[in-house]
Amino acid sequence: MLRNRRSEMMFALALVAPFVVIYGLVFIYPTIKLFMISLTDAPLIGEGSYVGLANYTRLVSDRRFETALWNTGYFVLLTVIPGTFVAYAIALGVNRLSGRMQAAILALFFLPYILPVSVVYLIWDWTLNFQFGIAMYVFDLLGIQRIPVFKSTLWFMPAVGLITIWWTAGFSILLFLAGLRAIPREIYEAAALDNAGRWATFSRITWPLMWPVTALVLTIQLISQLKIFDQVYLF
Amino acid sequence: MANWYRLTKALVLATGLMTSAAHAEETVVWWDFLAGGDGVRMKQLISDFNAAHQGEIKIDATTLEWGTPFYSKVQTSAAVGEAPDVMTYHASRIPLAVKQGILQEITPEDWSTMGLGKEDYAAATWDAVTVDGKQYAVPLDTHPIVLYYNKDLLAKAGALGDDGKPKGMDSREGFEATLQALKDSGVKYPLGSVTADGNFMFRTIYSLMGQQDGELMTGDEFLAGDNAEKLQNALSVLQDWTKKGLQSTYSDYPATVALFTSGEAAMMINGVWEVPTMTDLQKEGKLFEWGAVELPVIFDHPSTYADSHTFAIPANNGKEMSPEKRAAVLEVISWISKNSLLWATAGHIPAYGPVTASAEYEAMEPNATYSSLTSNMIFDPKTPLAGIAGPIFDVMSTYFVPTLNGEMDPAEAVEEIKLGLEDL
Repeated sequence: MLRNRRSEMMFALALVAPFVVIYGLVFIYPTIKLFMISLTDAPLIGEGSYVGLANYTRLVSDRRFETALWNTGYFVLLTVIPGTFVAYAIALGVNRLSGRMQAAILALFFLPYILPVSVVYLIWDWTLNFQFGIAMYVFDLLGIQRIPVFKSTLWFMPAVGLITIWWTAGFSILLFLAGLRAIPREIYEAAALDNAGRWATFSRITWPLMWPVTALVLTIQLISQLKIFDQVYLF
Repeated sequence: MANWYRLTKALVLATGLMTSAAHAEETVVWWDFLAGGDGVRMKQLISDFNAAHQGEIKIDATTLEWGTPFYSKVQTSAAVGEAPDVMTYHASRIPLAVKQGILQEITPEDWSTMGLGKEDYAAATWDAVTVDGKQYAVPLDTHPIVLYYNKDLLAKAGALGDDGKPKGMDSREGFEATLQALKDSGVKYPLGSVTADGNFMFRTIYSLMGQQDGELMTGDEFLAGDNAEKLQNALSVLQDWTKKGLQSTYSDYPATVALFTSGEAAMMINGVWEVPTMTDLQKEGKLFEWGAVELPVIFDHPSTYADSHTFAIPANNGKEMSPEKRAAVLEVISWISKNSLLWATAGHIPAYGPVTASAEYEAMEPNATYSSLTSNMIFDPKTPLAGIAGPIFDVMSTYFVPTLNGEMDPAEAVEEIKLGLEDL
């Protein structure tokens, strides 16, 4: 069959054009513009004059830059690996359930993920507010000293880390569940015939076969936690 | 069929009427940030205005979130021509707004159209809206912070004077004795303090600096000479109260108000804008006997931080305001200023002189009790760096929360603040 390479080419271009145009408009163009503006002293709105790399040298020499860098690193440490493993453990548990029960439990773990960050903030402020949070009354009952969780420098990061894990675990759980379901049953049956214990099954079958998913979740977590802003700003 | 005809005719008639009414009536788009008890009073004023100008001018008001969200929105919307026709503005932010070019000048003709002028305002208030000899806003009020107190708890602790005011308002020792007496009588928090919000505490701390004649800016220099020491003194006093258990720790704004109104805190330093909260609660029979007085003198002499609410007309980029619209806006500002007696029930001190000189205002409580402070008020330094949610505010407030709650040494905080300010 004769193929008109030229018209095929045009056809392909026409098909990708909408994507390329939108991608260029909302991603490539703003990114280039962003970089250009970073070389000027522009205010919030409007043009500025060219200042070269002054903004960048100022950033590095800013006294709070190092603190910000450390804090981001600390937050990543608190959330990425713990968050991934909490989700892994929950997925393993949910996977052992079946039918309606599984759906219900999965929904419970997934629900926080659909909440907007402002709602997450309000829920946790109701719970952990130093004067009127409901958890504080529990602390009083148990005779534990109240902790100003969101206001003290010591507790702030761990608390926000924990909330972030609670909030975002649902998505990772779904990914892990999909991964677990993709492991063929026969492998487990064969292992059972060989008298493999639970730990052996997990460490020799589940863990290695799940590694691609684990790596994916870790990557997604790393990217999103490096970008964190909302929670820290609100709390 | 006849029915249809009649219905259509009625519709056409109605539409015609509505458009002609809309034509004559000028709608003034209004933005404010007054969400507290004072916001209720402002809504009342607006609806009174609308009633008095039926068919001529209608205010279409929106309340936005106070602070950074409000000012960012104003700045961005003015740049694209989507700003309102009139808005409330803090006097402390005017130097910055003028530098950003987002306010229109209030010209001498405007002032005469409104029937208002320099002679109607206190000199400091007029000065607060003036940049390079031009006015950029019309002052509505002055709003200082005051000390609210629970008369019942104070009386129980034996700390209520015969004049119905707390004892020991004239010295640090005296005031601390009052706080201690309250604590000894079983009050959980003698003083409710917004210790979880550095933005708020700027007001208290700046007042305490003022009591020592401290300055934030001397010329272009921040915390020059012994001013750093004065800031440190102010922080030390407040941290000391935390360490002695005399004030509420880590309390955010709503929690502090709740601590006071529920009787867990016997006194509270807060803005006069919480007066309506108290009066309304008491009217419903849900509040104890209360009062409000000028801040205690902790250092050398009385001094209280105040800011001023004003009306400003945004400079809408690429959108010229029609003369009719401008006249309507001026009428709004003028009418509200002249009827600001109601605004005084929101605790604020009206800026328009004839209102504060009226007998009704002079009899108004608790305003009359704390009005003594008007001669001791200090305002923000006049620079584009100052003002609500401005850079100075931002740098300083960052270090207030850890210091006031005893996590950071006052000397260290002052050092950090000074370095931070010098980076601006």
